[in-house]
Amino acid sequence: MKCPARDLDEHEQAKDGGPTGMKNTSLEIGKSVPRFDAIAKVTGKEKYAADFWAQDVLWAGVKRAAVPHARIRGIKTDDAIRIPGVLSVLTSKDVKGTNRQGVVRKDQPVLADDKVRHCGDPVVLVVAEDRETLAKALACIKVDLEPLPGLFDPENAMAQGAPLVHEENPEGNLLLKGSLETGKVEAAFESCYETVEAEFRLPHQEHAYLETEVGWAVFRDDFLQITASTQSPFRDRYETAEAIGFDMHKVRIIAPYCGGAFGGKDGITVQSLLGLAAWSNPGRPVKMWWSREESILASVKRHPAHLCYKLGAKKDGTFHALSVRIYFDTGPYDNLGGAVMALGLEHSGGPYRIPNTSLKAWAVFTNNPIGGPFRGFGVPQVTAAMEQMVDMMAKRLGISPLDIRVKNALRRGDRNPAGTTLTGSTGIGECLGKIPASRLWQESETWKKDAPPFKKRGVGLASAMQGMGYGPLIPDTANAKLELTGDGRFRVFCGVVDMGQGNASTYLQIAGEILNQETSGMELVLPDTARTLPSGSSSASRTTFTFGNALVKASKTMKERLLEKASDILMAKGPDEMALVPGSVRHMPSGKEMPLSALAGMLSEAERTSVARYRTPSAKESPTGDPNLTLHGIPHIIFSYAAHAAFLEVDTLSGEIEIKRYLAFTDCGRILNPQIFEQQMQGGIAQGLGYALFEELKVKQGMIRTPDFGTYIIPTSMDLPDMESTAVELHEENGPFGLKGAGEIAMNGPFPAVANALADACGIRIFSGPMTPERVLGALKKKPPCQEER
Amino acid sequence: MKIRFCLNEKDMEIETRPDRRVVDLMREDMGLTGTKESCGSGECGSCTILVDGETRLSCIMLAAQLDGRSITTIEGISGVEGLHPLQEAFIEHGAIQCGFCTPGMVLTSLDLMGLKPCPTREEIREAISGNLCRCTGYQKIVDAVEAFASKRKVPQQ
Amino acid sequence: MRPVFLANNINELWDMLRQHPEAAIYAGGTDLLVRMRRGIIDPSALICLERMDCLRGVREDGDRIFIGACTSHTALLADPIVRRHFPVLARAVSRLGSPHIRNMGTIGGNIVTASPAGDTLPPLYVLGTTVEIMSMEKTRRLPIKDFIKGPGRTDLGPGEILAGVWIKKDQPFNILSFEKIGQRKALAISIASLAALLRVSEEGIIEEARLAWGSVGPTVAISEEAESSLAGKRLEPGALSEAARIAMDAVSPIDDVRASKAYRRLVSGNLILRLGAGLDENALRPAWPPIAG
Repeated sequence: MKCPARDLDEHEQAKDGGPTGMKNTSLEIGKSVPRFDAIAKVTGKEKYAADFWAQDVLWAGVKRAAVPHARIRGIKTDDAIRIPGVLSVLTSKDVKGTNRQGVVRKDQPVLADDKVRHCGDPVVLVVAEDRETLAKALACIKVDLEPLPGLFDPENAMAQGAPLVHEENPEGNLLLKGSLETGKVEAAFESCYETVEAEFRLPHQEHAYLETEVGWAVFRDDFLQITASTQSPFRDRYETAEAIGFDMHKVRIIAPYCGGAFGGKDGITVQSLLGLAAWSNPGRPVKMWWSREESILASVKRHPAHLCYKLGAKKDGTFHALSVRIYFDTGPYDNLGGAVMALGLEHSGGPYRIPNTSLKAWAVFTNNPIGGPFRGFGVPQVTAAMEQMVDMMAKRLGISPLDIRVKNALRRGDRNPAGTTLTGSTGIGECLGKIPASRLWQESETWKKDAPPFKKRGVGLASAMQGMGYGPLIPDTANAKLELTGDGRFRVFCGVVDMGQGNASTYLQIAGEILNQETSGMELVLPDTARTLPSGSSSASRTTFTFGNALVKASKTMKERLLEKASDILMAKGPDEMALVPGSVRHMPSGKEMPLSALAGMLSEAERTSVARYRTPSAKESPTGDPNLTLHGIPHIIFSYAAHAAFLEVDTLSGEIEIKRYLAFTDCGRILNPQIFEQQMQGGIAQGLGYALFEELKVKQGMIRTPDFGTYIIPTSMDLPDMESTAVELHEENGPFGLKGAGEIAMNGPFPAVANALADACGIRIFSGPMTPERVLGALKKKPPCQEER
Repeated sequence: MKIRFCLNEKDMEIETRPDRRVVDLMREDMGLTGTKESCGSGECGSCTILVDGETRLSCIMLAAQLDGRSITTIEGISGVEGLHPLQEAFIEHGAIQCGFCTPGMVLTSLDLMGLKPCPTREEIREAISGNLCRCTGYQKIVDAVEAFASKRKVPQQ
Repeated sequence: MRPVFLANNINELWDMLRQHPEAAIYAGGTDLLVRMRRGIIDPSALICLERMDCLRGVREDGDRIFIGACTSHTALLADPIVRRHFPVLARAVSRLGSPHIRNMGTIGGNIVTASPAGDTLPPLYVLGTTVEIMSMEKTRRLPIKDFIKGPGRTDLGPGEILAGVWIKKDQPFNILSFEKIGQRKALAISIASLAALLRVSEEGIIEEARLAWGSVGPTVAISEEAESSLAGKRLEPGALSEAARIAMDAVSPIDDVRASKAYRRLVSGNLILRLGAGLDENALRPAWPPIAG
């Protein structure tokens, strides 16, 4: 049987060291170096937060509201406390801190105090000896709830006299509103040759990471250590400490590789609850692991949105005016909902030149599940709408969907629809320009004609863009630390979580390139507030850009220092005679080498360490006079771009859509590792296709009707096509080796590309996502395919 | 209840509750955390193990059912000489991202290799259709299995 | 803790059932253990049939085939007898759950679960399947449509188990179809499915039709009216459209989280239209209405 003490050590120390068993290979930028984490993951040895277990582990769990809006009149816990094996039963009264969490606005309780505001709100925390006892205890807790009228639609929630989610909020149920204006939109619409108007509705999307929210904690010697599946350990430390009333410096957060996160672990999930549970049971490890059902009930989701668009163009297809109104349902808490709204607003006009725009958005509190960060962060919703508008306009004007995009595509130096001047690389034109040459595109007309009986085929395009980094929200900084170990290897202290996207491996590749080392010469320390340096969250397409830049600096400093030191020791003329080679420093004129381990032995600890900070640039101009929008991240200055094409087949008897082929051209700057780039593209497209075709959290009166993986449908291997993704490698001068962020951009294109392909195939549009067989058949029934214009 | 079974080629006799879920038995009692749990109800394949060489979902299987069986978990497929070549193919072809589905994917693909030594891409997609992956879009997993199968095919011809 | 008994043979099983009459019985566990997790059932003991060799396998017996209740879906799919004589059943099984679920789940389990969405049920109905029920005292047989009483309800009495099914081989159908509409292509619970067997003469006249729908009623839906509307007609759009129209009235679907009643009704009809697709596709296609009626 396992010994708990050994387990603790194993978990703390598991991350150091090189990738045992990995084939040694040189680390060069631009090469598909196999990921460092691959061996441990493929052998099952990687220890995720979920994998901690010890004989004396305690289990923590929470009793959740199960109703969307109610006042707590009383909580009856006596029966639970009496159960043998139940160690703690805690309510909000036991929370010593602010009992409030949140990144921008701290409005989400650790344990509900006065009210519950959505069906997943936690009310009582129980710690027990084992899971069975825990379940029994949770089942016999009675929460006396006085039902309150619920708010389930953001527009109704903004009406005068609507019940309030947060009585203390001076703006009623409004979390944040924003407006961006350029030119003179009213007058501009009058001078348009054509205008197109449409409304779109998009549902909650569940992250559905395979590793549900999980962590374990131990409180020992007045010190709280929490290991969690999280994207943001440094922010968690601060937030958890404040919420549960701890000195931040006595809290340590350890962040192993996540079993997927996609934004859903960018913020507190289990951390504060585990902190409370461990603090109540000193000396014993406590684990909390949400079941899939609990994860779907309580976790954040992509914000549902209602989008109202009006686009005006000149006769030749030049976009002239755009009016946008977007209502985001943020659920009962901010949870970055204001920032999501702002990013959506900023991207709502797409990568086009539109001189006159009026863009407005609202993020509104309701009693629906919590809206939160999710790959794309508000941009998938607006892209789904805008890119359909573009196709509708093209059709109206009799211009091809590709031509109208090319004609209006942003170029470097243009102002984007939000009013920001694009000073960085702007490759949407290059991405679109690749499409006509692709074989699939060239064959598309013949392919469409070959549709089998009862099937219609169509091809659809979409452009996409994604701003990088936090914007002016907070300084977007990272702090890299690099150490030459005593045995002559380089240890990278990774400040940003690797939630599965492979950034940790890319960091080693960056340092390895600069220091000219092979994989065997590199080591990695994963994020840990006690060991690595604060570098922000793993989010916003920033992880490789921001931390990578800091690491470039730290590596260059290290290289310079080592060459200088070696030059002195070997009595060379100067560091320019020296070069780093794998494992050694070489004196070029003589060919003499000094092993790095020997060099390390002659250096002090301070000399063996290199630390550097980088802050991502933000825009100098301010397209908005609204300080609140600036506070929520507007404007961005560096954007990645993409052009996508979906090739699909619609079954006219059932309404089923099958994606047969998928093409993506992406400008995310120079590619550091082609394989990791493709992983991000394919994975993002897969989630985007899920969003387009299957994924819909069904919520009725605040209650989730798709509570598990049997009802919340994500794509299987049978539902996705092979995808072709190509990088249009423009050089971004600010990026490490010319890179821009690649984590989110691929998520934005699939929804509108599928919608446009569906319109191409059958002449129908579904204005409420996703495009399920039922909705497709319903639309076909209204407009049989034989009557449609093609 | 006393249960005898062979786990990763080692004979075992353990005392456990007969209704303990096999996934818990593996992860907690045996310390084999390569077997993951994600949905708990047979809908995702993360907890896949091989029982007498055939895939089983260990979240909907009880300890009593192990008696007399031969079990393989992800920890049991790489020998002393190193990784199984299928694992190497997963690494080489970039089939691993967050890695939480990976053990189940590898074991499922191994089962397929026993049934169909030279599967088509469609057959590979069909075979792994009970294993959800949220990171990869499956394409590189299919690439890896396909490459492994075709590499293995050569010496047989 | 609840005891789990593994029966190795029929006598052990009768003993276990006598000693633990309240025990829940399972073979693959793909349904029962999930319902236990959800708290829908909480049996005091479990009896597992996975080791019952006598209830497993496919064998020929005169003009009939016997399929043991504990035969896994994977075994069914691999079985040459099933593939040769009952391809409509094999097709349905190939769409059931996922490879893992097919490795674990059994045909008997799919039948006694009696879910309206049970994928094997429509083909078993059109094949005129007889179920064999055993108890310590006796063995009885009855048609599957009389065995399944409603959603989750069967004719199985206390102390009885489903031993297997009997299906007549060499049934004279030359067109067969199984189609399942789900929310995705694998790991999908059926929204609507249709199993169809047609006997079509060389002249293209439908001599006999058997149709059964899944997920569009409390149990498998059948429509003698739709079947007889096809009999004697040429296999062509008009006849199929007429049968589709009748079928849409004959089914009694409900709304649930997967699909609406209206959609299920529409698709129940539309799936009949697909039966013409293999025939003379090019000639038929332009005339084909997307939706009957």
